[in-house]
Amino acid sequence: MTPPGPWMCSRIEGAILSCASCLTPGAQRAEWLREWRAELWHARESTRIDRKITWEGEKAMLRFCSGAIQDAWTLRLLSLERKDARAAFHGSAAECLLILFLLFAASYILARMLPGVRAESHPSVYRVNPNLIMIQDAFASDDSLATISIDKYRAWKARPQRYFDGFAFYRIAKETVVRRGTTKARWKVAHGSLNLFWMLGLPTTLSAVSGDAIGKTPGVILSDAVWRRDFGADPHIAGRVVRVGHDEARVIGVAPAGVWRLPGTMDAWLLEPDDANRGVGYVIAHLTSSGRSEMHASRVEILSLNTDEPNEELCGVSFADRTRGPWGLYQFTLFLAFLALPAVTSVSLGESHFCSFRPSWANRLFHWLFLGAKIALLLPAVYFASLDLAYWHTTSYSIGSQYIQLISSFAMALFGLRWILLDQRNRCPVCLRRVTHPAQVGLAGRTFLAWNGTELMCAGGHTLLHVPALPTSWFSTQRWLYLDTSWKFLFVGSGAG
Amino acid sequence: MAPETKLSHTAALILQALQAGFVYGFSIMEMTGLPSGTVYPAMRRLERDGMIRSNWEKQSIADAEQRPPRKYYKLTATGNTTLEAARKRYPLLERLIPSEEVKQT
Repeated sequence: MTPPGPWMCSRIEGAILSCASCLTPGAQRAEWLREWRAELWHARESTRIDRKITWEGEKAMLRFCSGAIQDAWTLRLLSLERKDARAAFHGSAAECLLILFLLFAASYILARMLPGVRAESHPSVYRVNPNLIMIQDAFASDDSLATISIDKYRAWKARPQRYFDGFAFYRIAKETVVRRGTTKARWKVAHGSLNLFWMLGLPTTLSAVSGDAIGKTPGVILSDAVWRRDFGADPHIAGRVVRVGHDEARVIGVAPAGVWRLPGTMDAWLLEPDDANRGVGYVIAHLTSSGRSEMHASRVEILSLNTDEPNEELCGVSFADRTRGPWGLYQFTLFLAFLALPAVTSVSLGESHFCSFRPSWANRLFHWLFLGAKIALLLPAVYFASLDLAYWHTTSYSIGSQYIQLISSFAMALFGLRWILLDQRNRCPVCLRRVTHPAQVGLAGRTFLAWNGTELMCAGGHTLLHVPALPTSWFSTQRWLYLDTSWKFLFVGSGAG
Repeated sequence: MAPETKLSHTAALILQALQAGFVYGFSIMEMTGLPSGTVYPAMRRLERDGMIRSNWEKQSIADAEQRPPRKYYKLTATGNTTLEAARKRYPLLERLIPSEEVKQT
């Protein structure tokens, strides 16, 4: 009897390999088949003498191919082992910390990408000179309202003051600006006194034009947003002349994003002599040492600054709230969140026990270290995530973005801390895995005869957690029941240590 | 896997064959005389344990020799350490398959 031809033999061997490949995990199948086909080629070459097919050779080839089935099955078992490892990872302390770290990393990376957050991250940008206050009408309901006329400002400035040694003024107006030829735009412009930026101590960039070069043309400082939007972030913008309203002005610098913390969101600041200004606006005053001693709060009453008008009622508002910065705001909301935490969950870690067994010092230390690590990862994640939300759509400071940061950081910190405590209460004190497999125990109608509630189990076989459905005087909080070594055989192969 | 891990005789034989320069499955089968159903699954486990690692031969080399590309295996540092320990346990290992250095001398 002659063996089948080479074509038939290779078909049979190929079919065996294809069938065996069905046992392998899908992701590894193609590579597994490729390796076995290559090996088969070498095996076939070694069994054929003078390119002749023999029965002995074909039997050897079939034995070789049958090994592929065992190999494929081994590969399947190994992939199941990996799944077991994944199952052991699920619910572990490492998984929890990894998730928190990923949240922190994602919020941090996003924060680095958002221009508004980048601008807010540098406190030096938005810090104003110390000892400045804004003077307002005492009856103004909101410190963002313009209440002081230019005439009052001029009168205060002209008189020697006991509490103030310098004043600056600005008012806000919408102006038509001609940038280049006939290109027009509507800007929100602050018409400010010449010393406005100097008194506030605000930095400007690209300010290459000296005061002498400006001459009698008023200087205009562009906001970072306008510089990018209307001038294509031209680095040689300084010295260019634009028409603001009816007058020409020369660009003398660009204010970095987020630098302006005073009322109003500006496109530009037109710095002009006091006699050219008019209307109602805002007055910033610099305190003398006597004035500083009188600033007992962020808002103080000011007696008349002008002897001609002894009955006018004014107030001085500190810039502290406006220049607090996102970090200061976050600290405040974090404080509030810690204060409010007992209102949303119990701050107990649920460490009471059914038995006299106490976890080792090392276990308790890891328990506390794990809690600390979770909080340490949550808090920066909340900070950056709240900044991401606040500055998602805006590139500069605004009251609205501060409110968003305030609310979001408070909510995230409060509910994040609540989740951390709830999670900690559901972790085995021995291995820090989350307890699973909840089972209802007892009957509600027999509450006073025996406990009823939920029993959860540590997959590692260390503990049982009993949570009462109805807290009673003798069973008010959850309790841990430590399992001795006689339980071990039930948890063999659970993948937990 | 720890360096002091105890290997089965088969696994030790495969590691020894790899160190001796038999770097793909069929050549190990030929050298050790073990069947394919033993050699390949053992190599999967050794690779999982980080004692060996594999890489595919370049297609151009295989094309030049008019054959399909092979998957080559190589001992890792862990594998070498484990093999050293296995040699002490199985003294005949080196006599069955002399390592490359021994063959050269």
